[in-house]
Amino acid sequence: MVSQSTIILLLIPLIAVFLLGIESAFAQESTGQYIAHRIEVWALFYRLMVVAFVIGAVVMGSIAYVVWRFRESHPKNRGDITTTRTGGTHR
Amino acid sequence: MGHTTVEWVYVGVVVAILCYVGADAWNVERILDITNAPAEAEVIKVTGQQWLWTFEHEDGRKEISELHLVKGKPYRFEVTSLDVIHAFNMPDFTTLIDAVPGRINSVWLVPDQSGEYLIQCREYCGFSHYQMRAKLIVEDHEGGPSVANAAAELPSKGAEAIAS
Repeated sequence: MVSQSTIILLLIPLIAVFLLGIESAFAQESTGQYIAHRIEVWALFYRLMVVAFVIGAVVMGSIAYVVWRFRESHPKNRGDITTTRTGGTHR
Repeated sequence: MGHTTVEWVYVGVVVAILCYVGADAWNVERILDITNAPAEAEVIKVTGQQWLWTFEHEDGRKEISELHLVKGKPYRFEVTSLDVIHAFNMPDFTTLIDAVPGRINSVWLVPDQSGEYLIQCREYCGFSHYQMRAKLIVEDHEGGPSVANAAAELPSKGAEAIAS
């Protein structure tokens, strides 16, 4: 039985490639107008740079949150923090 | 900690980003592939050798260490080498392809701005590799700044006579 998560994960790349395919199929129809290498390559470069910086910002933001949230002096970490069911031992 | 929603969202986002990056790069590479070169592109035979570039136009004109192109016109470069592996690079037009002995590699280009640009060997090919350069001259019009074209722009009758 294929799970819902698997279906969603498979759909994401398929939709991404399909959308790109539609865009490029119409881009090739024009006659007398040529694609400029220079513009296409630099546009790709800047798009991927945006992706890289967004990922960098998200990762750095997550690290900053974890450091802030789980510092010893955080109000939620005061007092006894060994309040697990097993009392801190494995069973 | 029974639910895994956050983890699945994270995995999904990562997979989606990787797919987008891969598909986008693949798509641009496909668009710029030689199979998509315009049929009317002029073929220019490019030959690399230690340590200079030679160019042969379709009409038989040959140029050494200098290449004249016309802005807005499509070109197809058929690149090879006489000795070792070179790489034909026009950095201002983001064009790069290897020049391999015994093999013809092709790349196409439509120069979209006029001016003088650099052609440089981009694969280390020996002692004077760094001097293996050529000048790329992209002209606004066919024929470039010839005497007749320059004269045509002068306001005198004599110049008009020369131009005609």
